[in-house]
Amino acid sequence: MVRLPYSTALTTLFSYGLLFAFGQLRDLFRKIIDWFKSSSEDLKGYAPICLGLEDFYTRRLYLRIQDCFCRPIASAPDAWFDVVERYSEDSNKTLHRTSKTSKCLNLGSYNYLGFAAADEYCTPRVIESLKKYSPSTCSIRVDGGTTDLHTELEELVARFVGKPAAVTFGMGYATNSSIIPALIGKGGLIISDSLNHNSIVNGARGSGAAIRVFQHNNVAHLEKVLREQIAEGQPRTHRPWKKIIIIVEGIYSMEGELCPLAEVIAVCKKYKAYIYLDEAHSIGAVGKSGKGVCELLGVDPADVDIMMGTFTKSFGSCGGYIAASKEVVQYLKDTCPAHVYATSMSPPAVQQVISSLKVILGEDGSSRGSQKLAQIRENSNFFRCELKKMGFEVLGDNDSPIMPIMLYNPAKIPAFSRECLKQNVAVVMVAFPASPLLLARTRICISAAHSREDLLKGLEVISKVGDLVGIKYFPTEPPKHETKVYKVE
Amino acid sequence: MMPKLYVEAVPPADLNKNTEWFMYPGVWTTYILILFFSWLLVLSLFSCAPGTAWTFVNLAHFAITYHFFHWKKGTPFSEDQGIYNSLTWWEQMDNGKQLTRNRKFLAVVPVVLYLIASHTTDYRHPMLFLNTVAVIVLVIAKLPNMHKVRIFGINAGR
Repeated sequence: MVRLPYSTALTTLFSYGLLFAFGQLRDLFRKIIDWFKSSSEDLKGYAPICLGLEDFYTRRLYLRIQDCFCRPIASAPDAWFDVVERYSEDSNKTLHRTSKTSKCLNLGSYNYLGFAAADEYCTPRVIESLKKYSPSTCSIRVDGGTTDLHTELEELVARFVGKPAAVTFGMGYATNSSIIPALIGKGGLIISDSLNHNSIVNGARGSGAAIRVFQHNNVAHLEKVLREQIAEGQPRTHRPWKKIIIIVEGIYSMEGELCPLAEVIAVCKKYKAYIYLDEAHSIGAVGKSGKGVCELLGVDPADVDIMMGTFTKSFGSCGGYIAASKEVVQYLKDTCPAHVYATSMSPPAVQQVISSLKVILGEDGSSRGSQKLAQIRENSNFFRCELKKMGFEVLGDNDSPIMPIMLYNPAKIPAFSRECLKQNVAVVMVAFPASPLLLARTRICISAAHSREDLLKGLEVISKVGDLVGIKYFPTEPPKHETKVYKVE
Repeated sequence: MMPKLYVEAVPPADLNKNTEWFMYPGVWTTYILILFFSWLLVLSLFSCAPGTAWTFVNLAHFAITYHFFHWKKGTPFSEDQGIYNSLTWWEQMDNGKQLTRNRKFLAVVPVVLYLIASHTTDYRHPMLFLNTVAVIVLVIAKLPNMHKVRIFGINAGR
């Protein structure tokens, strides 16, 4: 739910209309000019690779602000990192890298607990495992790719999350898009939140099951959709559904909001549907001991049927996992293509996850894990509070390390991004199609590696740029008056 | 200073990103304001009678909305892998449900424009004929019975 001034809604729609009109005009002129130019001989008779109208958005809107996306970096994504400078000679159609870099404050990486840069406990162990096991297992899990590190990781993940068993995969996106087709097929029903991640949408489309969408975080609507679908049954035959799975996320990556997990589970139990929880952004980042959204909301992990997560965000590695009951995990190991056909996770990456999990659990012998968790909670709450006081529209719940700041107008996307980069703060822009067309935003990800000075510098730059660009949609809170001390001469 | 009027934007449960933007607040107002300001623009550019300007706006509106709502098929981005490639924008609206609020609004706008244009030109020919053709084509294209109908196979290709 976002609140925006009415005039902003009108101007945003008008701006998109103008951009669309100019894009269509340019396409028209391009068609007229190309009519006269003859096509080369080798391409005659071949079908075009893409229909002209399919990549309209990419050609006419995205390419104009291409320099705000895909910026290459030249160091580890710690609290400060080096951003490679790029220039363009044909108004952003092609970008060329230079060899210069600038050191910028990193407000965009998913480095929630600060494991992205060299860590005193994790990095020596990772280097040791790199020397012992080599960078790749060069095999699929089923053949020769299961090292003892992989088994140790799966046991550790299961213990951490609170489920009987777990299985890990090499890529987080591939975990979702290949597990969902293994769990459900034609004749089943998937009910997913309207703002679910693209990996879940692709997995659901690939499974062949019927897909229904319920309004984001609206449990009443979920119940309404569920009742309607159970009553109607499968389309055309009206037979009962073979299986119903409800897919929600722990923290939504574009809104920073938590899902009302306890109410969703209550609805699922009432109608005997399965629940699939995607904890990509919440595992390791929220909850008193980092065990994710179940711990934060006081939900028993045994109530969630399948818990999915990734190692990219809080653990500084790559890959994903599924934690469920022993039978489900064994079934997935036998059928899921990401396990049976894909190369297993790289051993140093596995060691990184094992070491960071040990730090979080406190099993490395120090209290750094709980310090990091307290630090990220404090950092996120402080930053969000200060941004709201400045008058920005910030989404997301308290305790969530993701805070999107709403921009709305398409022209403010490149303006905010380039101005911040000039002042050495690197932020990530989210435009269409990752977010709805009118709700463009910039997404800040806070890390435990940010110190108080880093946060204050970030706030100062964002405030200045926010004034320049004009995105302080809410009234600012006046600063508390300091009591003046008068010297009596 | 006038206090800001805030609206709440609930993200709609529409998977088709091509039509989802129409469910947000402020769309109807923007549409009407664009028509009104284009009438003012035509008046100031060509300094003609108000009736001629309204006829011009009506015919331009006919050409533009027919082309984008009822002729162009598919979506301007490739993320949905072409599942809407045989549907025009009008047929994709509201997931194909007929007679929703948005569809009724969009069907009323050409009729209102027709009434304004014919009234301000005092129902004289040839403007009356052109305006009538415009409104008849647009209203027929928006009828629920015309969902996915391609007359004589026109526009049935890719």
